[in-house]
Amino acid sequence: METLLNPSKTPNLFIPKTHLFKLSFLHSNFNPQPHSSYSRRPLSITITCKVKTSEGRKNDGKNISKKIVLTDSAPELSNEEIKAKPKGGGKTWGVIKKFPKRVLAILSNLPLAIGEMFTVAGLMALGTAIDQGESPEYYFQKYPEENPIFGFFTWRWVLTLGFDHMFSSPVFLGTLILLGTSLMACTYTTQIPLVKVARRWSFLQSADSIRKQEFSDTLPQASVSDLGVILMGAGYEVFSSSLPFQVTANTNIESYLNSYKHGHHVFLKGPSLYAFKGLAGRFAPIGVHLAMLLIMAGGTLSATGSFRGSVTVPQGLNFVMGDVLGPTGFLSTPTEAFNTEVHVNKFYMDYYDSGEVSQFHTDLSLFDMNGKEVMRKTLSVNDPLRYGGITIYQTDWSFSALQILKDGEGPFNLAMAPLTINGDKKLFGTFLPVGDTDSSNVKGISMLARDLQSIVLYDKQGKFAGVRRPNSRLPIEIDGTKIVIVDAIGSSGLDLKTDPGVPAVYAGFGALMLTTCISYLSHAQIWALQDGTTVIVGGKTNRAKAEFPDEMNRLLDQVPEIVESSISKKPDNIGG
Amino acid sequence: MIFSTLEHILTHISFSVVSIVITIHFLTLFLLVDEVVGLYDSSEKGMIVTFFCITGLLVTRWIYSGHFPLSDLYESLIFLSWGFSLIHMVSYLKFKKRKNNLSAITAPSAIFTQGFATSGLLTKMHQSAILAPALQSQWLMMHVSMMVLGYAALLCGSLLSVALLVITFRKAIKIIGENNNLSFSLGKIQYMNERSNVLLNTYFISYKNYYRYQLTQQLDRWSYRIISLGFIFLTIGILSGAVWANEAWGSYWNWDPKETWAFITWTVFAIYFHTRTNKNLEGVNSALVASMGFLIIWICYFGVNLLGIGLHSYGSFTLN
Repeated sequence: METLLNPSKTPNLFIPKTHLFKLSFLHSNFNPQPHSSYSRRPLSITITCKVKTSEGRKNDGKNISKKIVLTDSAPELSNEEIKAKPKGGGKTWGVIKKFPKRVLAILSNLPLAIGEMFTVAGLMALGTAIDQGESPEYYFQKYPEENPIFGFFTWRWVLTLGFDHMFSSPVFLGTLILLGTSLMACTYTTQIPLVKVARRWSFLQSADSIRKQEFSDTLPQASVSDLGVILMGAGYEVFSSSLPFQVTANTNIESYLNSYKHGHHVFLKGPSLYAFKGLAGRFAPIGVHLAMLLIMAGGTLSATGSFRGSVTVPQGLNFVMGDVLGPTGFLSTPTEAFNTEVHVNKFYMDYYDSGEVSQFHTDLSLFDMNGKEVMRKTLSVNDPLRYGGITIYQTDWSFSALQILKDGEGPFNLAMAPLTINGDKKLFGTFLPVGDTDSSNVKGISMLARDLQSIVLYDKQGKFAGVRRPNSRLPIEIDGTKIVIVDAIGSSGLDLKTDPGVPAVYAGFGALMLTTCISYLSHAQIWALQDGTTVIVGGKTNRAKAEFPDEMNRLLDQVPEIVESSISKKPDNIGG
Repeated sequence: MIFSTLEHILTHISFSVVSIVITIHFLTLFLLVDEVVGLYDSSEKGMIVTFFCITGLLVTRWIYSGHFPLSDLYESLIFLSWGFSLIHMVSYLKFKKRKNNLSAITAPSAIFTQGFATSGLLTKMHQSAILAPALQSQWLMMHVSMMVLGYAALLCGSLLSVALLVITFRKAIKIIGENNNLSFSLGKIQYMNERSNVLLNTYFISYKNYYRYQLTQQLDRWSYRIISLGFIFLTIGILSGAVWANEAWGSYWNWDPKETWAFITWTVFAIYFHTRTNKNLEGVNSALVASMGFLIIWICYFGVNLLGIGLHSYGSFTLN
């Protein structure tokens, strides 16, 4: 097994010459980067010393115990930040700090954030409970003042607060913005410092502190190095210190280095071990927050910079994209592609055997300003057309006209009108006058259709006359008039839009999915100490608290018992 | 014909097996554990049989209808039941031999959802229907399966939280510990508490309380873990649904009622995670949020469908 010794790369790791058995991408994170001017040099050392010395200075008034290294909670962190200030306080930091810090502290307050989330959830629920986008009269009737819901809720509430259009109301958007700023503040003040803390790691040198962990066990007749190998096998990053060192407030980096220069052959010989797994799981919530912010930014861009429009075009006709598209916000700017002309070549439907519609198709041709065809595509539901940032969706359909032959003459185009009877959504009808068309009481043949497949015909008296399918060429004779239905011409209902926010939103979606998955990982930390022939093991984890003891017991069962207790034999054991 | 017969048979087998499993669970609950270890083991085997039956049921429907069997409420309920038995299986295989509290949640959940799906309420839906144009997409599989798996896991997790609340708050409830010999009534403890100057009694109380504490802690941790898992599924489900909506409906977010309620569910469980970051709010408070989430999932899952409002009812594009 190769050990990697790179003291040059780890000057700020505080315990140099420890051995990284696996150099994963996470490890590269361990090399502190000069990210902020204030914290580079003095802060890190200060904090470390405090952390390391906590065991020796328990009676210190400032109760910065070892918990700081390990804890999840924010308050202690900000404590550290404050303490670090006088040593490394740069001017820029001081300026930023004064007023915004108070605001930040308020915004990153957890109960506030929880309250905001509850408010958003409640408003959304209210938005689905109140019918959206109706006329004021509707709300006057539905929420009358004489009979208020819950004794107070009337139309005045709905209209004043804009709950008739909840999802664009100032109240809702304001809460979302507040939530967004809380998200940013929390990420900045709580989560980022958490990374700084989590990246530090330390050996625990006292058996007591190890026993105080959430999980602890004592292995008689065992060695730390065996445990290290087993932990490595279980996917842990294992670090070991070869010499027992007592860290005090006065200990500095040089003395560490000196003490380690003598330990050349230090392969797992140390009496102390630190191992961890799933560190990414501790950092992932930051990613979740950033992804949420990205989605929010993308959503804002979508809301302010889009164009939308819908159009119903009969088969064979044209429209220009720019005529249909209307801006949704002040950032909406038209592009060259808006001049494109769209021609509907054909609109048709697929049917199931039962006669129900299975799919809608529209064959479109796109022409640029010079009349050149630039694109041709048959779109359908779930398969939109995309051209120059504009997307065309198949969303609706309508019956445009019926082409018929009357007594062999024609063809005539009869416009079909949508009929709304008994809430019927799709019913179209037309009327063919028969006989004297100038008389005041015109009678004729009625034709009704639900889809483009079959036309139902009624005679002058309104009695059912028959059903014909277009293209069948089968004539039908009603009241002495011979009618052939040549074709049923549909209109395609198209939605057009441009949305500059989509790339950002999709990037946010991807990041959110990934970071949510990584957040499931539990950051487990294990400490072990060789005490004679006994190994004291302690560990904790931040998420998988239920499974962790099981996993630990399973791993510790694998640690071989050393019959002839002799430390020198151990390297052989590992080799074999 | 053969398909519907097969479907019928599989439904009945899985239903009866889960009933037997639940009976065994009750037996193990009220009898001494030691005597029924074999019985418990057979109940686990029963769940595995159930799992394969429901899998067979879904596959049959898939072949029969030609599309992924998640296009209506009946199929999604069967899938939810499948999700429960899957969670049961995974937890069983992962923690062999050790009886965990999860099986007490998953098995009844599976039987209730399946019972509801096959009951007379939804008989009209048994016929596998045609697929509306908007549903004809590869996203159907991803979006709906993730959502329903998410619901299954979140329901399990929040039920564990509800159990925690019940144990914490109900006065007269009997505590079901790892060992049923330890069953005792809280009232008795309170009575003893009043005269707890007797050392033996205090010892006894703390001993019992320790078990009670351990049980609530276990419930808390398990519910957290399972809700985390369900949250992942829910997130992926919502986001894949948004991408699909951008393909089919023209926008990735339409504030459609179902969409909105899914987002409310997501927000509530996000709140749950945030309450857990604070030590003071952990435990009972987060369990309260989770049990709120339990209700919201049902509103999201059923309420919106029963009302038949919004884009998720597919009324706007069909010809009925």
